[in-house]
Amino acid sequence: MELSIISSFEAEIEGEGASVVPGKVFVDACRSLPSGESEVTIEQTSGSRMVSLSCGSASYRLNVSTTEDFPRLPEMTSEGVFKVNREAFLETAGRVARAASRDESRPVLTGILVQFEKGSAASTRKLTMAATDSYRLAVRETELAGDTPELEAIVPARAIAELARIPATGSELELAIHDNHAIFSLGDTTLSTRRIDGQFPNHRQLLPEAFEHTVKLARLEFLDVVRRVAVMAQRTSPIRLHFDAGLMTVSAQTQDVGEASETLPVAFSGVPIEIGFNAEFLREGIESVIGDEIELNLINPIRPGLLRAEGDSFWYLIMPIRLAG
Amino acid sequence: MPSTGRRTFAGKIARLLSTVIAHLDLDAFFAACEVLDHPEYAGKPLVVSGDPHGRGVVMTASYEARPFGIRSAMSAAEAFRRCPDALFVRPDIESYRRRSRAVWEWIRKRMSCVEQVGIDEGYIELKTPYAEPARTILADLQQGLLRETRLSASIGCGGSKTVAKIASDYRKPGGLTVVPPEQSAAFLAPLELRALPGIGPRLEARLAELKLRTIGDLAALTDEELRRALPGVVGSELRDRARGIDGRPVDPSPQMPVSQGAEETFPRDLSTLAEMEAWLDRLAESVWTRLIAHDLCARRVTAKIRYFDFQTLTRSQTMGEPFASAEELAAAAKSLLRRAMGEREAAVRLLGVYASKLCERGKEAQIRLPL
Repeated sequence: MELSIISSFEAEIEGEGASVVPGKVFVDACRSLPSGESEVTIEQTSGSRMVSLSCGSASYRLNVSTTEDFPRLPEMTSEGVFKVNREAFLETAGRVARAASRDESRPVLTGILVQFEKGSAASTRKLTMAATDSYRLAVRETELAGDTPELEAIVPARAIAELARIPATGSELELAIHDNHAIFSLGDTTLSTRRIDGQFPNHRQLLPEAFEHTVKLARLEFLDVVRRVAVMAQRTSPIRLHFDAGLMTVSAQTQDVGEASETLPVAFSGVPIEIGFNAEFLREGIESVIGDEIELNLINPIRPGLLRAEGDSFWYLIMPIRLAG
Repeated sequence: MPSTGRRTFAGKIARLLSTVIAHLDLDAFFAACEVLDHPEYAGKPLVVSGDPHGRGVVMTASYEARPFGIRSAMSAAEAFRRCPDALFVRPDIESYRRRSRAVWEWIRKRMSCVEQVGIDEGYIELKTPYAEPARTILADLQQGLLRETRLSASIGCGGSKTVAKIASDYRKPGGLTVVPPEQSAAFLAPLELRALPGIGPRLEARLAELKLRTIGDLAALTDEELRRALPGVVGSELRDRARGIDGRPVDPSPQMPVSQGAEETFPRDLSTLAEMEAWLDRLAESVWTRLIAHDLCARRVTAKIRYFDFQTLTRSQTMGEPFASAEELAAAAKSLLRRAMGEREAAVRLLGVYASKLCERGKEAQIRLPL
């Protein structure tokens, strides 16, 4: 089973039963129910192959499938369940998720590595999440209070995205990591997802130990410049960052379209360098760093660059585009 | 609809008859660029090659170096043995590319139908069906090019690509050889077989055993004799070319090639891995030069191995990012060769290196994490 969600809510029920309704049609019907009404009635008489849905003047009858054919969904049991802070977990996931790959040819890269390790104090745990599509790598570490087992799993990025869409209830998220699947429970909703098999790349090894240049920039200003210049970085054209004494010039050029260029004062000294990046990857990196000031660390035009902020346990490694000529 | 067929056929004949194609070949191009970049090299035997003390291969020898018997594709070590006093310089591909681009841009401004087929050669279709106006046009082009770029070119002109190419090689450097289309067969007939593109030393030797020495000898074969001498499609294609028949048009907007490759059938079978690897180095270098000339880079390499008994293996590998150098391409080809030798270790008569999954240089050079 790739992904399943079970949710429950209170209702006035006359007699027990189950119906299997066609998902998309049912959701579309529910969404279009009259907005002024506060009650909806769902009815299926025993032996009938139709379910009726009525709300004010609206009334639907839907064909149903047999309940026997519906797969058994994994449910949360007490086994291996532990609790984490919901907000911290989803914030950690949200900051790395965009770096996950959408290319199914390497399944491991479509997942997010979720790792619970010992924290800095006896009473804390360190939650690390990492995602990479091989062009960039995002890593976030969060210190959590409480006692969680030490474990790791690769969870499909899509499942984490679904989890983030479940309406917030309460401050805690329950989870259990089993051999083949992971289960998350938020209030009355349970989401289960298969785990991705395989070895996630060693993210710690991928982060260079030292950089040649560290440039500090006002994050929002840098983001605005990149967004403006990126308009001219179409198709596969790179966005170029040129560093010279005290200045950074951000430029992009697409043949038959046009070009853009902007210069910002920066504290840079040494031999001028120019490095190219995919504009979208660069923009997403600047967006996922939190803080007023952002650090851009560089080695040379063909080695990875690193975006981060002081005091934030988040690293966004981005591979350059080799510039022609 | 038989009439349609007849019309198309008639159209084809009419086009064949009226087509005059020129082949322009820059003389000792890499060496000529070196002399322009370093005027002190002028008048000296100059060899553009890889390391003459390693496994380098000769890319171009200047005309002063040729009397020593130094030729393209020879190992640089052999060239050094033949003329230790020659200047051996490493290729500066970027400079050659820049000059090549200037040459072809200049030509395209003057001629409407140009097909560049390499860094230093290309075909031009002329709008006149007659030889003499063509001669005047081409002489102007040749002199203009020399004036403008200080690069000398040899030009051949004829009724087909084959004739044009052979004619451009007829008198070098600086030659202009115009073969009126009706004289194609007569022009080709006395030439040695190896002048015909597609005939290498090994095939030439095989045909010599059948007493075939000139292009005319091949052209004169009957269908039955041809079947015995050269079975398969290749035979009839080569005989057509020997007769001056070649319907390939000049294509001014060639699609991006799917692959670039080079292969070599050896005069004698190779039996040691060291010999095979040395050849893969040369072949990879030649493929690399061609990729650069087309402004391309490649992410996939294929090694082709034909054993002495004609069993043929191909082994390929795709990389995350494009190959960065001829050495990287060669290293990947050699590791494929070693894999193939692990499956079957035997003497080989042919080796080939092909680069594919091509992309334009610079545009698709997104580097990946080493995952």
